[in-house]
Amino acid sequence: MDRGLYIAASGMLTEMVRQDQIANELANSSTPGYKADRTAQRGFGELLLSNSRNGSVVGPLGLGVEIDETRTDLSPGPIHDTGKALDLAIEGEGFFAVRTPAGVRYTRNGQFTASAAGLLTDSLGNQVLGPGGAPVRLRGDGSLSAADVGVFAVNGARKSGDSLFTGTAAGAGSGQVRAGALEESATDPARSMVDMIASFRALEANQKAIQTIDETLGQFAGQVGAVS
Amino acid sequence: MLAGLYTAAAGMEAQQTRMEAIANDLANVSTNGYKSLRVGFRDLLYQAPGRGGGAGTQTGAGATAGLIGHDFGQGGLMATERPLDVALSGPGFIRVRGRDGGIALTRDGNLGLTPDGRLRTSNGQLLEPPVQLPRGTDPDEVEIRSDGTVSAGGRRAGRITILNVTNPDGLAADGESALRPTAASGPLTAAPQTRVQQGVLEASNVDMADATVEMMNAQRGFELASRAIQMQDEVLAVANGVKR
Repeated sequence: MDRGLYIAASGMLTEMVRQDQIANELANSSTPGYKADRTAQRGFGELLLSNSRNGSVVGPLGLGVEIDETRTDLSPGPIHDTGKALDLAIEGEGFFAVRTPAGVRYTRNGQFTASAAGLLTDSLGNQVLGPGGAPVRLRGDGSLSAADVGVFAVNGARKSGDSLFTGTAAGAGSGQVRAGALEESATDPARSMVDMIASFRALEANQKAIQTIDETLGQFAGQVGAVS
Repeated sequence: MLAGLYTAAAGMEAQQTRMEAIANDLANVSTNGYKSLRVGFRDLLYQAPGRGGGAGTQTGAGATAGLIGHDFGQGGLMATERPLDVALSGPGFIRVRGRDGGIALTRDGNLGLTPDGRLRTSNGQLLEPPVQLPRGTDPDEVEIRSDGTVSAGGRRAGRITILNVTNPDGLAADGESALRPTAASGPLTAAPQTRVQQGVLEASNVDMADATVEMMNAQRGFELASRAIQMQDEVLAVANGVKR
């Protein structure tokens, strides 16, 4: 009987995780090259219930839900011109590669800057890599040739924070580097708002289910068991 | 469980940083030689949410923004017809004497003369090496060529030195409109391609239209993140409401 409480609670937990993801989506509405996360929900498995007296089948019973996985939608976003020399965007598929202390990471966020040695770096100071895997050197006057910047195809790209992705490089990407432009965040405010409301109502419904089951249990304990 | 609140708050804070940079740009829309600020955005740590999500799930912790330097793009050139106004077209800076006597750099070409006839910037810093004009020279007699050579009445008086650095974002402020090289700015180099134009000033490179659109964008981003905070609050209220 109290199984229902746990099933409804798992629904609430799932919606709360979803709300956290939507909050992250909305917080990144201005992060260049940000890619939207999509969530897939799955059940914990189902039981087939049968009548314990005559064995007739009652039907399946779910045991609750959780978010199965987060999938990042890597489709290219719109590009807008900024006119700033070290703003780069990739038109089409692929990633920029940067060398971080933890190894090579990939990014679509092209808000780059320069190091004292005249090398192109990301905003955290990680060197941006060229097509051959060597750091990209700026011209003597501080300008940049877009062809010097590498675009890599990446398998199994997964977000690791700081606009970076982990994954394994799989040759050159098909995209073209465009200088003086940035890729916009893939956050879709309308979609996020609708998702947020839908998820909130689902959360409320699960709460009501918990309360209803609690009331039922309360009646069992208080009225069915009463002596008078 | 309260993480979502902070995720959304981080988004608001990032937009606030951007808003401050835009306000600074707009305040300097008429400052000669001003270079607009660049704000860099990135997302924050991703981690597994714990209960409610499986092994393949990760939730982000919001966004952050910070200044990543300036846009050193050329500002518009304004003809002033004042003989001691110069503008640089191309990268680089005019070399002046820093407040500590060392090297300082500026793009503010609103020059003037000291009482003893040396060229100085509008806030009084002498050019380095000094350009000494004969005492009492009429500014209208001064001729400045595109390579920076200064002459008065046909006699060469010196040269405006143009220097560049590998990473101009590494320059530190030295007084009001001058900059000072640091280890981060890299070595000083000559800038032979850069031309000096007389009778012209370089305007601020802030584009009013761009800055206004950016400001609206920042405001909308701020609103979106604040909606997420409100929603997180309501979510927590529902969770607390399980126990009546």
